[in-house]
Amino acid sequence: MTVMNENPIAQAGFQQSADTRRSARVSAETVSTLAVAALCVVLLVGARFISPSLGSWSQVETVLVLGSFLVVLSFGQGLVILTGGLDLSLPAVATLSGILATNWVGASDPGAWCLLPVVLLACGCVGFLSAAGIVWLKVPPFIMTLAMSIIVSSLLLGYTKGTPRGAAPDAAVALMKGHLLGLPAPVLFLVGFVLLGWLFQSRSVYGRYLYAIGTNVEAARIAGAPVTAMRILPYVISALSAGFAGLMLVGYSSGATLRMGDSYLLPSIAAVVIGGSSILGGRGTFLGTVGGAILLTTLGTIISAIGLEFGLRTIIEGAIVLVALLLLREELFQKLGSLWR
Amino acid sequence: MTDAKGRPGTGERHPLSREMRAAGLSKSYGATVALEHADIALKAGEVHALLGENGAGKSTLVRIFTGAVIPDRGEMQLHGEPYAPRSILEARRREVATAFQELSLVPNLSVAQNFLLPALAGAGSPLISRRHVLARGADILARHGLGRIDPAACVGDLPLAERQRIEIARAIENAGRVLILDEPTASLAETDWLFEQIAKARARGVAILYISHRLAEVREICTSATVLRNGRSIGTVGLGSASDGDIFEMMVGHRVEHARRPARVAGAARAPRLAAEDLAGHGLRGVSLQLGEGEILGVAALEGQGQRGLFRLLAGLQTPTGGVIRVDGRAAAYRSPRAALRCGSGISYLPEERKTEGILAGLSAATNVVLPFLPRVGRAGFIGRHDEAKAAQPSADEVALNPRYLAFAIGDLSGGNQQKALMARTLATGARTLLLFDPTRGVDVGTKESIYAAIRAFAERGGSVLFYSSELPEIVQLADRCLVLYGGQVFRELEGDDIAEQKLVAAMIGHGSRAATGHVPAPAAPAHAHAAAESAR
Repeated sequence: MTVMNENPIAQAGFQQSADTRRSARVSAETVSTLAVAALCVVLLVGARFISPSLGSWSQVETVLVLGSFLVVLSFGQGLVILTGGLDLSLPAVATLSGILATNWVGASDPGAWCLLPVVLLACGCVGFLSAAGIVWLKVPPFIMTLAMSIIVSSLLLGYTKGTPRGAAPDAAVALMKGHLLGLPAPVLFLVGFVLLGWLFQSRSVYGRYLYAIGTNVEAARIAGAPVTAMRILPYVISALSAGFAGLMLVGYSSGATLRMGDSYLLPSIAAVVIGGSSILGGRGTFLGTVGGAILLTTLGTIISAIGLEFGLRTIIEGAIVLVALLLLREELFQKLGSLWR
Repeated sequence: MTDAKGRPGTGERHPLSREMRAAGLSKSYGATVALEHADIALKAGEVHALLGENGAGKSTLVRIFTGAVIPDRGEMQLHGEPYAPRSILEARRREVATAFQELSLVPNLSVAQNFLLPALAGAGSPLISRRHVLARGADILARHGLGRIDPAACVGDLPLAERQRIEIARAIENAGRVLILDEPTASLAETDWLFEQIAKARARGVAILYISHRLAEVREICTSATVLRNGRSIGTVGLGSASDGDIFEMMVGHRVEHARRPARVAGAARAPRLAAEDLAGHGLRGVSLQLGEGEILGVAALEGQGQRGLFRLLAGLQTPTGGVIRVDGRAAAYRSPRAALRCGSGISYLPEERKTEGILAGLSAATNVVLPFLPRVGRAGFIGRHDEAKAAQPSADEVALNPRYLAFAIGDLSGGNQQKALMARTLATGARTLLLFDPTRGVDVGTKESIYAAIRAFAERGGSVLFYSSELPEIVQLADRCLVLYGGQVFRELEGDDIAEQKLVAAMIGHGSRAATGHVPAPAAPAHAHAAAESAR
């Protein structure tokens, strides 16, 4: 055998065919979570230079309390996006739960809190209806959830005749305004929720199925995953978490309005994407999403601290979400990850 | 049209001059280093083979030449000038064209439009003339011996083999200097047409890089070969002086010994585990079969004779319009692969298309293996860090999948390792019946041997295997019994030593009398039948 051009390195390793190629030590997901967390800290500390009232511990508490709504909402949104869908009905469902809670439960009767699960059940039903349309009638997710959102909003408008009544249930107020072990109750709740959410998405059998379906429905079906059930599940969970966020909002602001959820739609999607998830599904972690939600909330509080007009503030907030979406994408984190190599 | 493009005349080109050189190319994709150090030189008017196992880096090298991938390091020269294409179009402007293995045609456009893309309109005109496009398409088809194809036909409607021919013809049309053919025979039954076109391009002075797993084919058409292993070019050899053993040794690092199929007892005494009675629908017209315990039953057929429907029906992906499926002797009506896995002793399916039906690209290889039985892997519904790798390990060992790959995203692995992981999955489900559709499509020799060994070991343990293969030697090597499908029906059943390539081919093209009663259907594709007869000679 005549070897015409030889590769000296290959020649040396000719006897044993050792595969020396390595994999990167740090995954893009880890990098994105760390980067977003670092950005939050930098922003909070840097905010001191804008206004001395910022950057204090009490501001951190405020960010966490305000961020808890978004974290809960984007948990559900994240699961839906993980399976390649999109849930545009989150604001409407949050409003539904808020209005039902103030109307049915209210502040007066201390025993009525047991109706709160019924409120959540109603929200879950809305999620199931959306999922049914998507899975069985094959309506594209954004159309189905948008339609559901309009239906729910219109029903609420008719039900309240335009002016929601009633007060926040005591249980919701206690959750949002109470203190425990010297910390605000919502902060403690947030820690528990993040832990449970992470366990569900990254460590549970169901979470794995959702990743599989988001990656490739057909391959997941062939592999024997329970595809139908697992396509319905995220919409139900999403509606439940929107319902819960609605209760939290009511507890925080002591009352419901017809548009209380509206400002959370874009941020709920943005938090997921900024946190490193693929909008096409199959990739991303809940911890990343939590980072994205906290980051967006931090930016929001800094902007409102500067004291701009409401209109201008909204424009800036929208622009920031857009810029964050453009900048904090997967490719960036992949590049950062390969620098670690 | 060749002249209209202003292609340099062949006169200025020295025969066998170095047309393209690449030195020290390397490329890593995020987590995986695909190519570590590759050197290769192509000569004008020569067919040069690129050999290597799956995952050796062949595809990456091709993508670099084509401009689809930009290398991290290394340099290339084309006709003495530096060559660093940043896009497929730039490579094409430099007259380097590739026929891709996973075809790059636009399925909803016509044959002619596909040929002329991206410049559908003629030079200097912003408008597209349908007549003009069709005429030029017809001209190109005629020049490449494909005059029988209608230039107005929608590419998606053509059979796979014709699409592959169009992909190849388009590459030849665009290749003034370098032509790259990536597994050009993957879905071609015969090579005559291809070799004729290659000879014409060679005579024009084009340097040709030929990638194939079929060594006999490489020997027939190529004069020298470069071998890649684990992302490195091991060396370049003249094919006249290197034996098959030498080449395998360069590819794998050790000699490959061909295992013979041990003589097995015919399956008379075995209880049937899976049976189909008069199964119809999805291309089938009444297929009956019985698969016994410990039996390996092969299915041989030309493309499109109903084998796809048969496997999809048995796997629960589609429901039959007629007939009965029995599992362990009981009539079964499962409607999903999930239900098939849980039906009786279980049926596990290895799908045809690795990329679109098989792997879940972003997930780890371990997750891919254990997905069908996730709840069993977890504890109380939760999965720890190493649970999946631990559960995947035994079946990964059976197919000789390196355990360190289990932690990798399966999409980052080579085709061969992906296939091993999918094979490990079908084994790991614990199902006693495996349906394997072309289990070694597009994988290298080493992977093939591992998969064969796993199939045999599974049958030894009493498992039943129904497999279809597009490669006849595979059926000859593995099958205890073989069904030949033709026109959606079982045309003939062969057993033991009767399973020989000549007999299989004769039955596949509908030659001779049918075994079962019923009329012999008219040949669906005469061209194919002819082709298969050719290739078997």
